Amino acid sequence: MSKITITRRTLLAGASGTLIASRAWAQQPSEVKVGLLVPISGIYARPGTVMRQGAEMAVEHINGQGGIKALGGAKLKLVVLDSGDTTEKAKNAAQRMVAQESDLVAASGAYLSSFTLAVTEVTERANLPVLTLSYSDLITDRGFKYVFQTSATAGSQARQALPQIIKLAETASGRRPKTVAILTDNTAASIASAKSMREGLLAENKLQLIVDETFTPPLADATSLVQKIRSAKPDLLFFLPTVISDAKLLLEKMNEFGLGQGKVPTISFGIAIAEPDMLQTVSPELLQGVLTCVASWGAKGHEALIAELKTRYKEPWMTQNAISTYGDMWVIKDALEKAGKADRVAVGEVLRTMDAGPSKYYPLGEIKFDEKGRRVGAGMTIVQWQSGVPLTVFPPELALAKPFWPKT
Amino acid sequence: MLQMRSFLPPLLFTLAYAALSLGVTNSYYQLILTLVPVWAVFGLSWNLLSGYTGLISFGHAAFFGIGAYATALGQIYFNISPWLLIPVAAMLGGIAGLLIGFPTFRLQGHYFALAMLAYPLAILYVFEWLGFQEVTLPIKRDAPIAYMQFADPHVYTLLGLAIMLATIVLTQVIERSRFGMALLAIKQNEAAAEAAGINTLAWKLRAITLSGAIAATIGGFYAQVLLVVTPQSVFGMLVSAQALTVAMFGGVGTVWGPVIGSVILIPLAEILHAEAGARFPGIQGVIFGFAIVCVILLAPEGLFWKLRDLLRKRMAPKAAAADIPDTSAANVTTLKPAPRQRAATGEVVLEVKNLSRSFGGLKAVQDVSFKLHENEILGIIGPNGAGKTTLFNLLNGFLKPSQGEVLIDGRNMSGQRPHVICEAGIGRTFQVMRPFLRMSILDNVVVGAYVRARSDEEARKLAADAVARVGLSAVADRVAGELSTKELRLMELARAIAGQPRILLLDETLAGLGHGEADEVVAVIQQLARDGMTIAIIEHTMQAMVRLVDSFLVLDHGAVITEGLPEVVTRDSRVIEAYLGKKWVGHAAN
Repeated sequence: MSKITITRRTLLAGASGTLIASRAWAQQPSEVKVGLLVPISGIYARPGTVMRQGAEMAVEHINGQGGIKALGGAKLKLVVLDSGDTTEKAKNAAQRMVAQESDLVAASGAYLSSFTLAVTEVTERANLPVLTLSYSDLITDRGFKYVFQTSATAGSQARQALPQIIKLAETASGRRPKTVAILTDNTAASIASAKSMREGLLAENKLQLIVDETFTPPLADATSLVQKIRSAKPDLLFFLPTVISDAKLLLEKMNEFGLGQGKVPTISFGIAIAEPDMLQTVSPELLQGVLTCVASWGAKGHEALIAELKTRYKEPWMTQNAISTYGDMWVIKDALEKAGKADRVAVGEVLRTMDAGPSKYYPLGEIKFDEKGRRVGAGMTIVQWQSGVPLTVFPPELALAKPFWPKT
Repeated sequence: MLQMRSFLPPLLFTLAYAALSLGVTNSYYQLILTLVPVWAVFGLSWNLLSGYTGLISFGHAAFFGIGAYATALGQIYFNISPWLLIPVAAMLGGIAGLLIGFPTFRLQGHYFALAMLAYPLAILYVFEWLGFQEVTLPIKRDAPIAYMQFADPHVYTLLGLAIMLATIVLTQVIERSRFGMALLAIKQNEAAAEAAGINTLAWKLRAITLSGAIAATIGGFYAQVLLVVTPQSVFGMLVSAQALTVAMFGGVGTVWGPVIGSVILIPLAEILHAEAGARFPGIQGVIFGFAIVCVILLAPEGLFWKLRDLLRKRMAPKAAAADIPDTSAANVTTLKPAPRQRAATGEVVLEVKNLSRSFGGLKAVQDVSFKLHENEILGIIGPNGAGKTTLFNLLNGFLKPSQGEVLIDGRNMSGQRPHVICEAGIGRTFQVMRPFLRMSILDNVVVGAYVRARSDEEARKLAADAVARVGLSAVADRVAGELSTKELRLMELARAIAGQPRILLLDETLAGLGHGEADEVVAVIQQLARDGMTIAIIEHTMQAMVRLVDSFLVLDHGAVITEGLPEVVTRDSRVIEAYLGKKWVGHAAN
């Protein structure tokens, strides 16, 4: 850090040539730098911090198992940059990352899809491969070569989830759901999921949309929304909040109106409704049975990791942010092994072409990316609140518990 | 020549900045160097409206965001080059300014600020509703330059600098012109500006249109730099706040303020974010906020003004030797009173017929009628609350009469806007002085001259002439903030006569003056009358007035008690009763 301070002053003095000189030491093969660009200040600091925990754990595990063998056992070194809480700050941080950490071989980031979009505009031009858990379709629709999306895209997630939800409802209650309500906030991820449902997915699954409401977070009052649900009596409620307070407000209001605790089965998208913070404001009884469809979650085969995260960081369970970022580090490690050199362009080339078999940390599919940079066969997980813990219940090969359908 | 010389500092600054930018090879520092002019221009656009008129806008993100989205969406949906889109964005920003300004300028002060706050927030939701949560500019690998996508980041900085230089020069031109003077006058006192013949609404609309166009231009460029546009990043509260922060930190109402603010704050925020934030996430916000609070406490008007005041103090002792004789000579050149032909029988230039105005149940002015003859000095007297100032406000258009007529040269002008009445030849001064404190005496007076002047030059000439007539020529370059009450009164008088009115309404011009000082002001007024001016003057002390006026109009409880020659009126028992109460009527008779 002190080196950067000096160059910063040098800039003010009008010269910046010394920067190159301060860099030689990091080029030694004993260490390979990997970037992590996530929000660790501002309103998104909490998820960003969890991503950092996942990355730190992975780097430690990789190094503990002998580092990058193809590079003579070189150790991974995590360089964490704060993307802050605005798109501009995220872009600035990305520019800082490529300008001042020129020996990075790859990076992971940047939580919010808006941030990832801005960050990858920079990294693409610097040929720095970036793995991201953001699932906006737009990220890999731009023809970029150095962005790798490990999650299923928003559109694909809804497509995968819907048949499973219907099947679950049918087997549990013996009746196929026919009508649905959508309550969504107007953030990018929620809008993308809701849009794919409205535009064909619901019809494909023979579901009729009878309530369709979009709100701007944060909600001041959920009464009018819940009243519409009560009068329409849908078989399913798709509820897509991003802000925890909105989730709390709606669940409590549903309960107050006698619709809670499974009277109207509630299915969410995204991780907001399954964040540990939920328990600080909402009682486990209200959450019991609530389902959410997420890109990734701590699942079968991750038990040791979940336990380690719990003891080290006091995180009660492993969200998408922790497990996905943990997986990112392993993918970068694999790519380094195959590239055989600590070079970002080479790592990018490997990521585009590699086929490292079935995925261990992301749900389903392989460690292989298509021409857009999307992970081939990327699945998703369905998580259900059971006795105060959101557990993976789908897909069956990853499930930590059996799903149950709330009795109606 | 003066104009050319004043463009030199911004040009040198821009060149130095460009040289610095070209010397920087680190792309991250280059990005920060690009963002400095971006936010400086945004601050300048805010300053053009809010800095000069004093109408604080909390919603400049509205224009910024319109520019950003226009530039982004035009590329995505119509494949148009940003070289074309940014000028289009400027136009849209200007139109938005006009549309927003027209209804919102009905509000003043805090209400204006709050209403402005609502626009970007409302537009933000519209763009979310339209589904533009995240918009990315398409990458153009085949024709990058045609789409403003440069591999060399220096080009962005140079473009940003070009926009900044253009904005600075534009601001400087405006600052020195009738436009800038009008805005400054509005800031100091909108009512006084109207009274001085300035069509305040028209100038404010021009200001917000131009300001909106500049903000939209830089918003479009910002989209080009960021490559991603989200409603929060261009319409968000933080964006509007950014304009206020750089301008208020650097200095409000000066072209250098936003530039100074941006040059310091933008890199500072980044350094804090990169250095302190890396060790203690979030601490950067705390330090940044604290630094701003400290500077605002120490330099409430911004760094520029603080530094300028400090520099002036430094220079003052050196210049003192030369200044001292000047300051003593700064006293008013006393004009010798000479007898004047009393002209109570000239042509009638102002006629008031049955003028009434009530506020709810209170009849502030009731059924007042009088005639003002050419070259007459009419004293309007009466105890406190008699309705004198309300009468003036009816005469010059601040208030609309409930009933009655005001005939200027036989034309009914009642209910017209103040600047229209000013153009018709009525000038006025105020009981509470409204000098433009940071401006020189001459500049203060120029504001009043524009109503008659066709060019800036002519206005200066008229102003210099007016300053000479009140005897302030020797101190014309001094800043109004340093003047004594008497000098301020004379300066206000000069401002009123700079527009060459035929009728002058003076509201308690002698208030707050010592005995000797009042005499000097009286002498000036007498001289004006000798030069052919028709004057109506309000006072509630009679002493000085008796020697000055040709006739009196006495008001009490909003109505005329009596009128006539001074010697008659002062003996009238009704007048004595109104001033002193019933029991003094007997005493006075003796």
